Amino acid sequence: MTTRPKTSLSKERLMSFFKAAYIDSQTLQLVGVFVVLVIFFAAIDKKFLSSQSITSMGFQLPELGVLSLAMMLTILTGGINLSVNATSNLDAVLAGFFMLKVVPPDATGVQMVFYIGVALLIALLVGLITGIVNGFLIGYIGVNPILATLATMTFFTGISTGLTGGATVTGFPESLAVIGHEKLLGIPIPFIIFVLLTILTHYLLYRTAFGFKLRMLGSNPVASEFSAIENKTVLMKTYVLSGILSAVTGILIMSRTMSAAIEYGTTTYVLLTILISVLANVVSGFGNVINVFISIIILQILSTGFHMILAGIRGSSFFKDFAWGVLLILIFIVNYFVYQRERS
Amino acid sequence: MLRKVIKSNEFVIFLILAFLSLMVGTINPAFFSISTVFDILRAAIVYFIMAFGLLPIMIAGGIDISFVAIAAVTSYATHMLLIKYGYQGGIVPYYLIACAMGLLAGLLNGFLVTRFNLPVFNVSLATFTMWYGFNLFFVGATSNFDLPKGTVGYYAKFLITSQDPLVGTTGLHVSILYVIVIGVFIWWLLKYTTIGRGVYAIGGNREVAIRSGFNVTMIMLVIFAIMGILSAIAGVTQAFLSRYFNPVIFIGQPLDVLAAVILGGASVTGGRGSVIGTALGVLLIQLINRTLILTGIPVEWQKLVLGIILILFTSIPALRERRVRRMGHTTELLQE
Repeated sequence: MTTRPKTSLSKERLMSFFKAAYIDSQTLQLVGVFVVLVIFFAAIDKKFLSSQSITSMGFQLPELGVLSLAMMLTILTGGINLSVNATSNLDAVLAGFFMLKVVPPDATGVQMVFYIGVALLIALLVGLITGIVNGFLIGYIGVNPILATLATMTFFTGISTGLTGGATVTGFPESLAVIGHEKLLGIPIPFIIFVLLTILTHYLLYRTAFGFKLRMLGSNPVASEFSAIENKTVLMKTYVLSGILSAVTGILIMSRTMSAAIEYGTTTYVLLTILISVLANVVSGFGNVINVFISIIILQILSTGFHMILAGIRGSSFFKDFAWGVLLILIFIVNYFVYQRERS
Repeated sequence: MLRKVIKSNEFVIFLILAFLSLMVGTINPAFFSISTVFDILRAAIVYFIMAFGLLPIMIAGGIDISFVAIAAVTSYATHMLLIKYGYQGGIVPYYLIACAMGLLAGLLNGFLVTRFNLPVFNVSLATFTMWYGFNLFFVGATSNFDLPKGTVGYYAKFLITSQDPLVGTTGLHVSILYVIVIGVFIWWLLKYTTIGRGVYAIGGNREVAIRSGFNVTMIMLVIFAIMGILSAIAGVTQAFLSRYFNPVIFIGQPLDVLAAVILGGASVTGGRGSVIGTALGVLLIQLINRTLILTGIPVEWQKLVLGIILILFTSIPALRERRVRRMGHTTELLQE
């Protein structure tokens, strides 16, 4: 039995622990930003750390969070999915139509649960179909992902617009609101869904053969094709997953607002999900789900925090956009210097 | 020579344009009128200008979306500044001040990209949200309709006018001249200057471009400065065409312009792209956008039709390229 020298124990163990827990330098940086921001906002306004404000954040961030996961998967393959938000709105509109047209007004409790279950399944199924359309265009025809998903974004929005005539769909059964408004063990249900999906995505990317193929395809499509990876199939599966995750967002939005419309989110959501991936340093082939998770929380903190501090000032809700941009640039610059130091 | 023209991407886009025009014209003969042409061109003016600004960056291998935010912040801030000091003169100071701001905003992007070795897209995403946020929080959050007296008639300053039995007098707006001048300038820059050849070299292979002695930093700064200036021109022009200043102008449009440039043959990874292709791409998207109303399709279903057309017309070039790829690299080289 040999004893390990004491000096290597701390650093080596720490490094191997970090590696096992998928923590990289970007994670540490983001956690640092997170801590600084929380201390900053808590120091200015005591209300920031009140359970009420934390709960409201827990209700707000999952929509964008799940959508970011949908975006992240496609960015990992070297593509992009600009139709995520159009997909979630289309799913919500179709599920909403089902509930309005099919569900009898005098349905009992059990029947209601059944009908809502079917509506949610419809939403997920539509998400799957939209994913197949994207996957076919990108994987099989070979259209550039930006162009393909921009076209399908218009196409999906077009279906929703045609069906709703541009109006907001309302009048859903009351029990649907459970998903978007209730808490389980004191934690908002949307947040639980978001955390579960984050863990699932992480597992998928790092513990399954599909996740490995997905990342290989992203880092070098030619090499992966020659390594007996069916690029087409992997792309198809990725965009289908992205569509289903977008559908979950659609369900969350529908349940929170108790309505469905074409204009929820629109362009800002799409760009925000890309921004989150950029903040989390997700590039084709390489990305960390934990970083995406922390990035979403940071954006929400900036948004809620500045909203609290600047309450009453004209246009206060717009300051966060400015702050997001500045934060992003600062992180880029810090990353650059960290990278320079690591190299030398 | 003719073979080369027929095989080019520009020619395919041109065919699609012609086919689409014929189809719309068959459904509604009112399409074949000079006023329709003027209307489409008027709508396309600012997109031409922004697309020309984006083109060199795309050729150099970058994807930028911040140009719309630069257009918004420069035009709106210029207007609020001039209005604050009670300015009542003509339009020239608007362009001068906005272009100066655009130059600085473009250089900021360029500086971040070159100094910290960052992907263009990431930087532009940051400056996109930063400039819109800046505009709305620090400058103003509402549209402004008070135009200075000297600029009031500008929106109807036509180069040529024509009498149309249906819509009355229509005309070709003077700002189409800017488009022509800018288009020729970008074409000249890309084809006949060291900077332009450097842009293609960087897009083809950045490392090789550096080793062949191109000053990559300087070239990138120049094309970002041009993008900033052209965005400012587009922002001011659009504001005067629509007769009001909007702090979030173009916020939903960056991807449309990007799609037009890519549709026009620019490669997302760089190295390819032309002014003519870009102009045709912009024209195609505007033609689809503006003429669906003439076909008699109900308004609420037009977006769906637009989506289907976009899916079809983005698939055609992709399928063509696949065929070339299947034929093999050597065949492609032999044909050159």
